[in-house]
Amino acid sequence: MANLKDIRDRIKSIRNIQQVTKAMKMVAAAKLRKAQERMEQARPYEERLSQVIHSLLPDVDRSLLSLLDVREVKRIAVVVFTSDRGLAGSFNSNIIRRAEEEIKSFGREVTDLICFGRRGRDYFRKRDYSVVKDYADFWSDLNFTHAMEFGEELIELFVSGRIDEVYIIYNWFRSVGTQKIKMERLLPLVYEGEEQSLSERLYEPSKEELVCSLIPRHMNVEMWKYLLESFASEQAARMVAMDNATENAGELIHDLRLEFNKLRQASITKEVLEIISGAEALKVQ
Amino acid sequence: MKSFQLEIVTPDKLLDKGEVTYVRCPGMDGLFGVMNGHIPALIGMKTGEIKVTKDGNDLFFATSGGYADISAEKVELLVETAEQADEIDVTRAASARDKAKEHLSKGDVDYIQSKAKLDRAANRLAVANRH
Repeated sequence: MANLKDIRDRIKSIRNIQQVTKAMKMVAAAKLRKAQERMEQARPYEERLSQVIHSLLPDVDRSLLSLLDVREVKRIAVVVFTSDRGLAGSFNSNIIRRAEEEIKSFGREVTDLICFGRRGRDYFRKRDYSVVKDYADFWSDLNFTHAMEFGEELIELFVSGRIDEVYIIYNWFRSVGTQKIKMERLLPLVYEGEEQSLSERLYEPSKEELVCSLIPRHMNVEMWKYLLESFASEQAARMVAMDNATENAGELIHDLRLEFNKLRQASITKEVLEIISGAEALKVQ
Repeated sequence: MKSFQLEIVTPDKLLDKGEVTYVRCPGMDGLFGVMNGHIPALIGMKTGEIKVTKDGNDLFFATSGGYADISAEKVELLVETAEQADEIDVTRAASARDKAKEHLSKGDVDYIQSKAKLDRAANRLAVANRH
């Protein structure tokens, strides 16, 4: 049976862990709030940009737009968003499993991987997947210039013809409790329906040139949305995981306390018994 | 001088600059200025400096491009970045410029990308000097 000191030490160490998990939960909650604000802030920009592109497209020859170019698919790129750090429940393992399934169905030989976050990169590298680009250690100071850089590099891959289709696999943030893994095709871009024309105005330079310069920008903001969704999901997953951990630690402490008290009582009873029986023995003499 | 409404929309913020009298933007075909009563237009913008005159004071912003949507009611600048001159982190911009220069001289990465990065960094530094 464990002795009193052992149990006391265990309670102490569990309490320390509980403090750490509680702090992590609070940090994740703060980061989540910030990510949600940023998602909110990006919306007006995205909506207006996409509206303008839609209004220009009817008058533009689509074959001039290289990012809309649908061609025979020889090579596919799969972009996987994971986190740099663990302790976020099943956040990373779920998305990696989904990515593996999708790669299998595309065919591993024709699929290149682009990994965001250290977790995904390490996993796929170790298993000899074809990882053509990876980005890690940027999540902590995520800003829009990242989206621009990543977007530009994806465009380069697509326009140069090395990749014919780009798919994104990410955690879609629905609420703190639910994140859903989604796969979406990013390139070639599709613009459909709701072609509304704006009122008559001057265009400078031509409509073609305007669209050509705006479409890559639209892709950058799409990229930004994926980054924020994934970041928010990661923080939410971590928050929930750490909340559970804190609760479990609490339960464990409660159980150990009970055991500790029982043990203490037993040892007191034993001591009292020894004294009494000692006294009894003296009386008999 | 007559004034008009100006809004600057970026992916991280919506700057409502309110009533201004003059805006100068880096158009794709060269600088253009907008004053009250401009005809409706959609003008593409590239990396450069935006100058806004408000209450007689000039404000400068570094931008990496987008478009200007000019309508009868207001002027809307939809740009990827808009940093006011006094907000620009000069050391960071300088290090970005040096890095881009190094990449360009080595020629180990895509030329267009590095050139764009260099332009953006150099532009931020130039605008920061306005402060």
